[in-house]
Amino acid sequence: MLKVVDETKKAFLTGNETIAWAALAAGADIMFGYPITPQNEVMHYWTRLAPKYGRGFLQTEDEISAGFTVCGAVQAGKKAFTATAGPGNVLMQEPFGMAEAMRLPLFAIIQQRGGPSSGTVIYSQQEVTLTTFGGNGEGYRVVYSSATHQEIYDYTIKGFNVAWKYRWPTFLLGDGYQAKMREPLEMYNPEEKGIELEPAYPLLGLPGKIGEDREPQHLCNIYSLEEELYDVVMNLSADYERVAPELIEWQEHSCEDADIIILTHGVVSRAADDAVKALRAQGIKAGYFRPITLRPYPTQQLREAIAKSGAKKLLIAESSYGQFERLTKQEIYGETIKIEQLYMPGVGIIDHDIINKVKSVL
Amino acid sequence: MAINRALELKSQGRQVTLVDLDTVEPFYTLRPLKELLEQKGLTVIGLTPANSFGLGETGAMLVPAARWALRREGDIILDVGYGVYGAQTLNLVEGADTSTELRVIAVINYSRPMTSTKGRIIEYVKELGRVDALVANTHLGDETTSEVIEKGTQVILECAEELGIPVDYIAVDRKLADKWSPDFGVPVKWITRYMPAAVW
Repeated sequence: MLKVVDETKKAFLTGNETIAWAALAAGADIMFGYPITPQNEVMHYWTRLAPKYGRGFLQTEDEISAGFTVCGAVQAGKKAFTATAGPGNVLMQEPFGMAEAMRLPLFAIIQQRGGPSSGTVIYSQQEVTLTTFGGNGEGYRVVYSSATHQEIYDYTIKGFNVAWKYRWPTFLLGDGYQAKMREPLEMYNPEEKGIELEPAYPLLGLPGKIGEDREPQHLCNIYSLEEELYDVVMNLSADYERVAPELIEWQEHSCEDADIIILTHGVVSRAADDAVKALRAQGIKAGYFRPITLRPYPTQQLREAIAKSGAKKLLIAESSYGQFERLTKQEIYGETIKIEQLYMPGVGIIDHDIINKVKSVL
Repeated sequence: MAINRALELKSQGRQVTLVDLDTVEPFYTLRPLKELLEQKGLTVIGLTPANSFGLGETGAMLVPAARWALRREGDIILDVGYGVYGAQTLNLVEGADTSTELRVIAVINYSRPMTSTKGRIIEYVKELGRVDALVANTHLGDETTSEVIEKGTQVILECAEELGIPVDYIAVDRKLADKWSPDFGVPVKWITRYMPAAVW
């Protein structure tokens, strides 16, 4: 196989371009997609690069079809993926739900855009609820919320591995800013970093006679008996909860003695990091906590950060109107820390926004 | 790069028109900078955020005047779009294939993965079609160092020689002007990075 990265070195890319290169490096076989801003350049770059590396692409007639073709390809043993945003993410909830039910190793990139709308293409963080708990299911998903292009590269590679190792639909949640902006990152071939790539494997058409050589492969998406569905959901929940501790990732610093903990995810975490450093320099004891996985959520880790700090306040800053706060509240139900909000839907949050908010509530 | 070249010509007292031909996706576009550049004396053909407001994804359109830009008096700088197929927007400009005055200049950044090796640069330039000259513009944004530029420039110069086309100049962030004195036998132009202010 042609080496994807000739030399491990810093490169200057957009977030979308980063995804295309990382998917190549992760050994993705094929992308199925339908154009939508702000993820279009994932497709643009993938279609340009894929033929050189013997990989495939199919533009489907819509996002529903893109999602289902991914579901089909992974059952055939291909490392397939898709990328979408906004209303495309809405349409893909049906195939994503199918992947949850059938335990398909699906990987999808979501570049969030604003809403409510079908045509708003600008930056926002308003696809948190949709990506974590969208669909008619229980949210059996792994969702990484990236903050930097380096993370986009790293978690795209990791996302494929996690999907194929655990067989839950796995998502990289970015946004319009991360999609479009350029910044330096280190590109590498995963194998050279000691990262073993999970192989793709067929789920259908397996060798051997059912009943004699092997057990039947149950990939069921339709349940007609209530009791049967009950068993399936209880088993899926138990499986998900069992592996959740292995999947949870988070970042925190300066929480030990914090009076206020700033809780953010994704690109807003960059502003929170700067804000905490600036506030500390001014003698204000601020702490930083950021879930990297929004599903499964680092619930215990956040509870511990609150407990050890003795912080009086938790400031949740997000470029949406409470989606991240609702997710957090359901996870840390029972905590008595006072929660403050900085909601800026559709608007980028910079360090000064957070600093000013902290000063106004302390 | 287009902005810097346009402002350089303007500072020489010339009449300069800058044309925004980014139609692939309206990002890395001149739109947010249009007013600022007009205040600096440039004529800018392109949309502004205000007059493309509400267009959403349909905002990736060409201003009709851009099609006829080459018929104008003075120096015309075509900022031919960003993106994989960006260079093809040149086909939309009347006279682009027949003008004897037009020069097509490819700006090459060795830190971009598409142009990160000698082979890739040569392949990339050939894919663009007509290219009359290169500008060496290796950088890593705020993380640019003289070592990064030196390595990239060396490779770009080798590619230019193999392709048989000149390198017009090496473009380097003005922030490095006090720290570095490059000597490649090719002119160096110190540039100001305007695009970080052009978030769409």
